[in-house]
Amino acid sequence: MLFNELRKHHRLAAKRHPMYEKNRFGKFFMYFMSVFWAGYLIFFGTTFAFTFAEGIPNMEPYHVLNSGLIFVLALDFLSRFSFQKTPTQEVKPYLLLPIKKSRIQDFLLIRSGVDPFNFLWLFMFVPFAIITVTKYYGVMGVITYSLGIYLLMVLNNYWYLFCRTLINEKLYWIGLPLVVYALIGVAAFLPKESIVDNLTMDLGEGYIEGNVLFFAGTLAAIAAAWFINKWLLSKLAYSELNKVEDTKVKHVSDYSFLEKYGEIGEYLRLELKMLFRNKRCKTSLRMIAIIVVFFSLMLSFSGAYDGTFMKSFVSIYAFVAFGMVILTQIMSFEGNYIDGLMTRKESIFNLLKAKYYFYSLGVIIPNILMIPAMIMGKISVLDALSFSFVAIGPIYFILFQLAVYNNKTVPLNEGVTGRQASGTGFQTIVSFTSFGLPMLLNFGLKSAFGETAGAFILLGIGLGFTLTAHIWIKNVYVRFMKRRYKNMEGFRDTK
Amino acid sequence: MITINELQKIFGEKIAVDINSYTINPGEMIGLVGNNGAGKTTLFRLILDLLKADKGNVTIKDIDVSKNEEWKTFTGAFIDDGFLIDYLTPEEYFYFVGKMNGMKKEAVDERLATFERFMNGEVMGQKKYIRNFSAGNKQKIGIVSAMLHQPELLILDEPFNFLDPSSQSIIKQLLKKYNEETHATILISSHNLSHTVDICPRIALLEHGVIIKDIKNENNSAEKELEEYFNVTVE
Repeated sequence: MLFNELRKHHRLAAKRHPMYEKNRFGKFFMYFMSVFWAGYLIFFGTTFAFTFAEGIPNMEPYHVLNSGLIFVLALDFLSRFSFQKTPTQEVKPYLLLPIKKSRIQDFLLIRSGVDPFNFLWLFMFVPFAIITVTKYYGVMGVITYSLGIYLLMVLNNYWYLFCRTLINEKLYWIGLPLVVYALIGVAAFLPKESIVDNLTMDLGEGYIEGNVLFFAGTLAAIAAAWFINKWLLSKLAYSELNKVEDTKVKHVSDYSFLEKYGEIGEYLRLELKMLFRNKRCKTSLRMIAIIVVFFSLMLSFSGAYDGTFMKSFVSIYAFVAFGMVILTQIMSFEGNYIDGLMTRKESIFNLLKAKYYFYSLGVIIPNILMIPAMIMGKISVLDALSFSFVAIGPIYFILFQLAVYNNKTVPLNEGVTGRQASGTGFQTIVSFTSFGLPMLLNFGLKSAFGETAGAFILLGIGLGFTLTAHIWIKNVYVRFMKRRYKNMEGFRDTK
Repeated sequence: MITINELQKIFGEKIAVDINSYTINPGEMIGLVGNNGAGKTTLFRLILDLLKADKGNVTIKDIDVSKNEEWKTFTGAFIDDGFLIDYLTPEEYFYFVGKMNGMKKEAVDERLATFERFMNGEVMGQKKYIRNFSAGNKQKIGIVSAMLHQPELLILDEPFNFLDPSSQSIIKQLLKKYNEETHATILISSHNLSHTVDICPRIALLEHGVIIKDIKNENNSAEKELEEYFNVTVE
């Protein structure tokens, strides 16, 4: 009964969210993407079945796929970061009610275990099994294999939940999955006979044969992961609730060197303070920094990204990542204090200008990080320059349009007991466009006009948008003001 | 100073504000009272152009607030903590607000000195971000920031909320003095009848979005009428 009641609350929380009705586009996009991914996985499942059969004739296709199961699990783990909601502890409202806390935690864990995301990979494994497993093991083999894979995904779900809860608490916990996957990588690649491949191959075969021991082992692992997560949830819930923060700030950074730039300088200072004083912004910044540094090091000192596609992917990502992650949320952080801003004359216009200057200057960082790659001859100076101007030109032009449409407040600080704040479908599309567009432009122009001429044209396009920034920012401001009532209502409703 | 013309705001089926005509003269100090849901905050938001009116308009010094931003230069307001940038320290916030209103740092410091007693040593120099202050101190920060640039029009929603009794008394005196010295127009809302009656010579009683009574309050003459309306008289 309690389980049903809590499930009802969870459904109502999503359904009665102020943005639920307003974000029709997001809902459509979500359904569209689900169908797209399902189709994509079915395609992979059938393709793998035939390709493995032809390409590796001395092995059964399911043995080939099973030997790579660990990579599927790693991919599943990674994809959960963008597709699965953050585990939140909605314990708080129930704490004063006569309900056992452990039952609420059980509910949260069950909900996570039955998450539809855990079924996703079956779109690949079921068609694959129908083609490859039936000939020796019949329909029963397909059923037991699919069940085994599903249980593995549930186990992976709890492993992700464990890591994500820890990472949400302290970012350095990101080291845990990194170390685990690095060790798995070593075990998979270093020995002549890969330990991991053999292990997962046996596991997959055990599932296909319907071996009870393998299922019992997986269920035991799920049970263990359940208890570890439960222990973690209860520990963190109490530490979060009982946390007495030392609210004194040791050093208050003033950024007073920006004072001389008048009102714009004041907004530049505000942007810096926002980014460095709030948990959510700081986490985003650190994540981007880690990824960009990793990419630039890999590009500079390894041959992993030497292919044309990967090289342009990595270098363009390094230039647009900063804006892409923070500017897709443009105005959403300000939603927390929008009333104060709106009661001051033209403050939003100056805020937008300051944001543009700030994030444009931010492109200096990837330029510095790319110096080793330039020295190593992996990327030309002209390319770096053209990518910089494409980022602050057309890409920021696209991202700044979100200032007109974003109307959902993003909490600046939230811990594990905080509420969920996911992006809108429109933000996702703009985010993809802001990354896809320079890729397409770079590829198209260089294919049509050659490396150097293509880079110059790209630079020209970037400069065009950069030099007209004052015009399109004014346009964004005017349109924002026209939509202000709708946006302010949205910001207030989602605070 | 403020003219309300056929103003209407509807949320779904509920009429939140429905005021045919109401004028607030320059230098007046007006108290807005009414039960929960009477439409006080909605009216303030409409005056400050934070909500779109379904009908009618509000003008401040003949400027239609929804069409021109000029009124913002001489208006100070605090409604709730949606006005506060909570990752700043109070000092930083005051300097930010000051700068937005064309004040130099020294002028801000000088002005802040007049609020020293009100802030009671609990706001300045604490090395804390606004988000870590108590509700009462956040309220103080909001009120001070609204009054910082000595606005001609001051709008405060429930200024006595969260404040301890001595701070309530001080803010009452500060508002009265500010009105007398600068002849600024002050509009406050409050559930505290005694404080409202103490400082406001004119009181508007709001019910279901309509101003049902415009009471002249001389020597606390409105007290009895309000107590009867709110049914708070002790037999």
